[in-house]
Amino acid sequence: MKEGWLQRLRDELALAWTIAVKDIKVYYLTPPMIMFGLMMPFFMFFSFSIKREMGAEVGIARLLALTTFFTASSAGPVIIPLERRMGTYDRLLAAPMSLVTLLLGKALVGTFFALAVSIVPLSVGLLGLGVDVADAGLLLAGLALGSLAFSTFGLAFASIPTQSVGSIMMPSTLIRWPLLFISGIFIPLEEMATWTRGLAHLSPLTYAQDLMNHAVPGAGLLNPWLDLAVLLVSGILFLVPSTLMHRRSRQLGY
Amino acid sequence: MSASVKVATLSADSNDAIEVRDLTKYYGRPSKGVLAVDHISFDVRRGEVFGFLGPNGAGKTTTQRMLTTLLEPTEGRIVINGHDLAHEPYPVKRQMGLVPEESNVYTELTAWGNLMFTAQLYRVPRSERAARARELLETFGLREKREVKVEDFSKGMRRRLSIAMAIIHRPTLLFMDEPTPGLDAQSARRIRDLIRQLNAEGTTVFLTTHQIEEANQLCDRVAIIHHGQMAAIDTPERLKRAFQRVQSVEVALEPDGSSTGPVLSLSRAESRGGAEGLTEAQDHGKTLAALPGVTTPVKMGDKWRLYTEDPSALLPRVMDYARSHDLRVVSLSTLGPSLEDVFLEITGQQVGVVRHGTEENAQQRRGMGRRKGGGR
Repeated sequence: MKEGWLQRLRDELALAWTIAVKDIKVYYLTPPMIMFGLMMPFFMFFSFSIKREMGAEVGIARLLALTTFFTASSAGPVIIPLERRMGTYDRLLAAPMSLVTLLLGKALVGTFFALAVSIVPLSVGLLGLGVDVADAGLLLAGLALGSLAFSTFGLAFASIPTQSVGSIMMPSTLIRWPLLFISGIFIPLEEMATWTRGLAHLSPLTYAQDLMNHAVPGAGLLNPWLDLAVLLVSGILFLVPSTLMHRRSRQLGY
Repeated sequence: MSASVKVATLSADSNDAIEVRDLTKYYGRPSKGVLAVDHISFDVRRGEVFGFLGPNGAGKTTTQRMLTTLLEPTEGRIVINGHDLAHEPYPVKRQMGLVPEESNVYTELTAWGNLMFTAQLYRVPRSERAARARELLETFGLREKREVKVEDFSKGMRRRLSIAMAIIHRPTLLFMDEPTPGLDAQSARRIRDLIRQLNAEGTTVFLTTHQIEEANQLCDRVAIIHHGQMAAIDTPERLKRAFQRVQSVEVALEPDGSSTGPVLSLSRAESRGGAEGLTEAQDHGKTLAALPGVTTPVKMGDKWRLYTEDPSALLPRVMDYARSHDLRVVSLSTLGPSLEDVFLEITGQQVGVVRHGTEENAQQRRGMGRRKGGGR
């Protein structure tokens, strides 16, 4: 019995990996992915950062948090409605695996894209601007956990029963943009009013930004272990609305 | 009508690949929603090709999506290969293959990439994947295209690849939704041959289609669903026998002494063109319709098909008609009911024919359509 469960677990993990690899091959150069996942975070960073005085370390930390957030949370909302429209999502739903496995596979895609894109600002910082990383371990852990958490965050929107990317991007943008302003990216936590700082603690992006502040300039405000724990837990919790909405999809027939 | 609809309780009959009881689907709340499938019950035996027929919107695809776990039933129970689908979907999914109406292949991947991905998805052992994919590419005539991206494939090639992907894990049960519409005759025939081959190898096939002749050629049994309810389930031949009243006499006539001229009823009239010719064709239609025993005359290309309950009595009348109108009989044959006739009788529709009948005949035919209720 135990052997059976272990085998099943191995199968499910292998399937999640299979889905992730396929999605990476298929979607890495699709126009919505380039637009929402690659260009958007850089445009946003430069529009909010130009003519503001900040050190290179602080800038790179912010850009890293921004890229992981935008890129990871864009993958699911781009890929799932496209697959629904093409009918290929049915192929995955009908395959012998649990829904959590399917969602995990999709989350891994967003994680991979975010990590790949974050190499760009990191390389610019390290090689071009001579930035020193204060804690490489925290940087890697923060990038990985942050990407995973934001990827499952994106899946919560991607699971809305629709075949239109636009129908998902609209509510997704409506939630994601305000988070930028309360999460310490453009206004540091220590400069926030008490009540906005309280609000900031509800956003997982706050913890990702704080981790990057620990990792690059070495000046985080919260306990880094708390940051890591929050990102891990929120990454798991974001799967709950996804599974509920997939159940709703099964009832509606999307 | 002898066609029967099973409404028995769920049995543990191991001969059944699929057992469906009281399956119901509302889109939306049962109080306000649309009832797509209404308490249908049926069994599919292991090793048979089971045709699931119905007009557009009858509930075919909804039923198939419920059987393949893609849609949650509002009520009812589905047992596949002994597993209750609501509680044990995992073993069922491993044993089934699905070919949806639209070929859902990954166009950005090659044929080989698509097959490898599906093989991994169904946990085909690594040592067997490549050999199985090569075998399928050969069988489906795609060997030369294995490294070509699917976006460059024709519709027929995508269809074949879609079927190959559905059977790469050797499923015991294959669901196919409209496998041939839109394909050229050669591709359609190739796919029908593949279905026969798969079935001969032991695969149970659940074929959802509105291609009546395809179902007639392929299926051991067919079910006809109409307005979300099961209207009939039986073998094609038994269904046809149950509708003996829709036998017909098919006749082609031409003016006597002009063997090179076009065949009349269509023909002489149309070749002349103009109002006079059309009137003559219509006149023939009316006259043929008025022959005793004809329930409905239908123009079928260059022939007339005269529906009747008694072809043997009608034959001499048709001959008398030809003689009295100075016409030569080019061909004359009696036909039993086709599966399409049965389908039309049950669903009360007309497909692909233009009816030329008197109002009386039309009413008579509508009356036959209404008798479908007796067969439920």
